[in-house]
Amino acid sequence: MDFALMWESLPALLHACIMTMELTFISLFVGLILAVPLGLAAARRRGAAAFMAEIYMFVFRGTPLLVQLFLIYGGLAQFDYIRDSFLWPYLRQAFMCALIGFSLNTAAYTANIFKGAILAVPAGELEAARACGFKLWQQYCYIVWPQAFRMALPAYGNEVLIMLKSTSLASVITVMELTGTAKNLYAETYAPYEIFITAAVLYWVMSFILSLLLRFLERRFNKNYRKRKTGRRSLLP
Amino acid sequence: MKKPVLEAKNIRKSFGDLEVLKSVSLTARAHNVISIIGSSGSGKSTFLRCLNCLELPDEGSLAFAGEEIEFSRRRGKIVKADARQLLALRAQTAMVFQSFNLWSFMTAAENIMLAPQKVLGISRPEARERAEHLLQRVGLYDKRNSYPAQLSGGQSQRVAIARALAMNPKLMLFDEPTSALDPQLVGEVLALMRELAEEGRTMILVTHEMAFAREVSDKVIFLYQGVIEEQGTAKSLFDTPKSARCRAFLRREM
Repeated sequence: MDFALMWESLPALLHACIMTMELTFISLFVGLILAVPLGLAAARRRGAAAFMAEIYMFVFRGTPLLVQLFLIYGGLAQFDYIRDSFLWPYLRQAFMCALIGFSLNTAAYTANIFKGAILAVPAGELEAARACGFKLWQQYCYIVWPQAFRMALPAYGNEVLIMLKSTSLASVITVMELTGTAKNLYAETYAPYEIFITAAVLYWVMSFILSLLLRFLERRFNKNYRKRKTGRRSLLP
Repeated sequence: MKKPVLEAKNIRKSFGDLEVLKSVSLTARAHNVISIIGSSGSGKSTFLRCLNCLELPDEGSLAFAGEEIEFSRRRGKIVKADARQLLALRAQTAMVFQSFNLWSFMTAAENIMLAPQKVLGISRPEARERAEHLLQRVGLYDKRNSYPAQLSGGQSQRVAIARALAMNPKLMLFDEPTSALDPQLVGEVLALMRELAEEGRTMILVTHEMAFAREVSDKVIFLYQGVIEEQGTAKSLFDTPKSARCRAFLRREM
């Protein structure tokens, strides 16, 4: 193992981490915003809105993310009205295409998490809210949403970590994020172990920081699920 | 004579082919304590839930504080209550449930504070003061920062009653408030309800606690298969029931 080479590759790879982070956070943010109405619609289970939300989730969860990226990156250029539109300067950038693909994809998964969480809100608690005279939007704002958010947190944490690592797929459509940069360095040096192990360690560090952040959020918001202050919940007797 | 707090007339309700309520009426005047008894499946919980429209009746009329609730009907069947009246009815009618239905992600105090702030529009400090006062009253002030999962059944139900009281309701509905409790915890909840009855609150309760119903009620209604089989004062109904079914029911329950 050539540690000098690993050290040498570090600045370029660290710099590429910035783009990986950008891809992760921007698509998670956009995906989250899209997922709220989608999840609410899907949780209704009946009607046109629920049906469309289900179709959306079905399509994006049912096809590989890489195929979706290819479709967006290569496919959009097929349409004249897209190429002529004012958005084309943005849409022809691989980075933009990756962002769009990731956002739409994570929106589908996140919406599904929200749907499950909303449906898991105990019916009795909603009934209590109705019996108090809450309006429908108040029931959603004060009872359904805060609770669904808490229940969704652990599953959403998974989605965040998966998303971070899925951004490596952007390298296939020429985006120079961490994996793309590592691939280039490998092509220059022919040192697969040194380069890719360094990249893997960097991914691991980013995951670790994110998972700490998520654990902090869970502690902060899910106090009510811990039964006693000192007791530990364990699966073992 | 003053207008009744709540007047329900000829309430009918079916679930599919099953006719649960066949024209049930009830009048609750201020300070009345009315108990509804009957075996399970007699429609007593459904009737109670019709009184604040958690369950919309199919037919009948409902007047709260002298104001008739306006129902929209389709083909003679009630499909919707006037939204403004419905919210007003529920804001002034508090309900206590069999399974407490506390909001599990909020502390005991927050459970009590939420509705007065959002529905009645009182300020947060005022709501906190009200919640702390009520928690003291139900003997759970030291549990104000506990979550429902950390409370016993009896404590949960007392918090739920405090939550109901926080709305200063004109009428309180109790849907089998002690049925989900361990026998040794029933007493603490009944003691609290007895206090409320003695205070002169208007209460309608569905209960299996016959001794309690007999002790606190002005009026007792015995429902049998969706019909009022017998009603009267607690004394007359428990001591000299006229209907054979009511007699048989009381023999079994007491």
